[in-house]
Amino acid sequence: MARRYDSRTTIFSPEGRLYQIEYAMEAISHAGTVLGVLAKDGVVLAAEKKVTGKLLDLSSAKMEACSLVPDQRVPFRNVIGGVAGLTADANSLVNYARTAAQRHLLSYNEDIPVELLAQRMCDMKQGYTQFGGLRPFGVSLLYAGYDPHYKFQLYHSDPSGNYSGWKATCIGANNGTAQSLLKQEYKDDIEVKDAIGLVLRTMSKTMDSTTLGSEKLEFAVLTLDPATHQPKAKIYRPAEIDALLVSEGLTKKDEDAEMKTA
Amino acid sequence: MSIMDYNGGSVIAMVGKDCVAIASDLRLGNEALGISSNFQRVFPITDRIYLGLPGLATDVTTLRERFRFRVNMYTIKEEREIEPETFAHLVSSTLYEHRFGPYFIEPVMAGMSKAPSGGCKPFIAATDLIGCLNFAKDFVVAGTASTKLYGVAEGLWEPGLEPEDLFETISQTLMNAVDRDAFSGWGCVVHVMWALIAT
Amino acid sequence: METSFALTGKGYLIMAADTTSARSIVKMKVDEDKIKTLSPHLLMAYSGEPGDTIQFAEYVERNIRLYQIRNLYALRPAAAASWIRRAVAESLRSRKPYSVNLLLGGYDTATDDPHLYWVDYLGTMAEVPFAAHGYGSYFALSLLDRYHDPDATLEEGLATLKRCIDEVSKRLVVSPGAYKIKVVDKDGVREVEL
Repeated sequence: MARRYDSRTTIFSPEGRLYQIEYAMEAISHAGTVLGVLAKDGVVLAAEKKVTGKLLDLSSAKMEACSLVPDQRVPFRNVIGGVAGLTADANSLVNYARTAAQRHLLSYNEDIPVELLAQRMCDMKQGYTQFGGLRPFGVSLLYAGYDPHYKFQLYHSDPSGNYSGWKATCIGANNGTAQSLLKQEYKDDIEVKDAIGLVLRTMSKTMDSTTLGSEKLEFAVLTLDPATHQPKAKIYRPAEIDALLVSEGLTKKDEDAEMKTA
Repeated sequence: MSIMDYNGGSVIAMVGKDCVAIASDLRLGNEALGISSNFQRVFPITDRIYLGLPGLATDVTTLRERFRFRVNMYTIKEEREIEPETFAHLVSSTLYEHRFGPYFIEPVMAGMSKAPSGGCKPFIAATDLIGCLNFAKDFVVAGTASTKLYGVAEGLWEPGLEPEDLFETISQTLMNAVDRDAFSGWGCVVHVMWALIAT
Repeated sequence: METSFALTGKGYLIMAADTTSARSIVKMKVDEDKIKTLSPHLLMAYSGEPGDTIQFAEYVERNIRLYQIRNLYALRPAAAASWIRRAVAESLRSRKPYSVNLLLGGYDTATDDPHLYWVDYLGTMAEVPFAAHGYGSYFALSLLDRYHDPDATLEEGLATLKRCIDEVSKRLVVSPGAYKIKVVDKDGVREVEL
């Protein structure tokens, strides 16, 4: 029965469902995990990096947790995003987000408020569930941002064009497990230094692989610069991620060392 | 009176030894009436480029916003900062787009460009209001005090100035020139850039 | 002739505009309010070509209101001023430009300080501690240079404004009769009498 209704995005099934949207969401739940936690003094974002093979050249690869507003000098970058889903769709959406942010900067001479950016993205995503003969974007996003109206914020948007604000959330593979872990462990007015630990611990329990290292993980934190009181995004380099994992006691087991002792 | 002189203001840029400087006054006027003594007309574009926009003040703001937009989009797409030479051509083509209804601005820019050796090389340029580029080796001037700036700069500038001497030279040039111009003055700002790794 | 003043002080902004509406040499109305309240913490005094002024002010007023309805919070003064300046600047290079001069004054609730922007019909914008438009500006600006204090109390600020108004009444041939004076601070906008 479903086959008659699920090939077009714009057509409801008799049960009142939009199958293409549900399929898009299904596609996302197989993608690399992205996890975000909102703290009192910042937002923490971590993403699983899917490496398809040893020969893949990662030097030119886009980071999944890519900065949406890499604005130099003034004003400062105020939003970072994590994407889960089809990489090609994500690149297109990230480009749209960056353009929207720059258009806001051009009109209002201020960084785009975080919720407004999420709304701009969702207007776009919703359009693809209603018009044309095109498929929806197979992408969910997490937006970690700061604006003077609501301070630090964390939003999630899905392929239907819905968005919602969160204290801690997760998209991609095993998001259910991660969400219930976060629900147990999240405390109101958590600080960034504790949120970093929470994110990494949850990530290590969520990801399929047994070891956690910079080759499979991306990590970013948005905080306020103590000197300028402006938002400052820090996307960690691989060496910094490994150092962080060591300090959190989540470093991968050194298998070679174990082999030697055995 | 020309529309170029309506709000007043002047900018000068100078080359030194492995360094570069750009300076402007801070006056915003309505013909002879002063409105503000803190009107910024020199803007940072990247860590290594400054752009001065003397001319009609409405276009100073409009162009500043447009260049910021275009440079940000360039930075995002290229994933690197724009080079001064490239930026000079961006300025030129943006102005020439309005060839038959121009922005009343004569931009002056100063920057440190990457030398083949890996170090930095001073760069200055100026254009007219429709984007005709002038790459000078010594100094460039524009604004209501430009005629006076030419005279003083011609007398004070010499090749191979170190950053401290370049600062003194550009400051004295600007201050003495704007003192003879009723439409410029009301405070000055000077930016000096020098290479941490010389060529 | 049309005159408007504005000045900032410690935690407040005062804006004053004359209330005369004239056509040629004839006064048509003497109680016209030429200061619009754009949002809970933002004022705009407008002057210039009759017709253009009202059309433009209402266009701005409704767009600022729309932003507030859509986003549940108002634009901050700096953002609103940038948007309004852009509207004037784009109009300048259109077939029929609005000839409207503006003073935009607001209180930024995020940073708790007043902001004042001087905007003319060309789209020139400058953030200033005090400003004036019209013939009154030739008298008032030099007085404000001498007496303005950014840390003054509201009473002191109003006294400085009174100096300006009195000077214009004394020296300007075509001086306006009455002014409407509004204040914006952390509590929002209110009208005051001198």
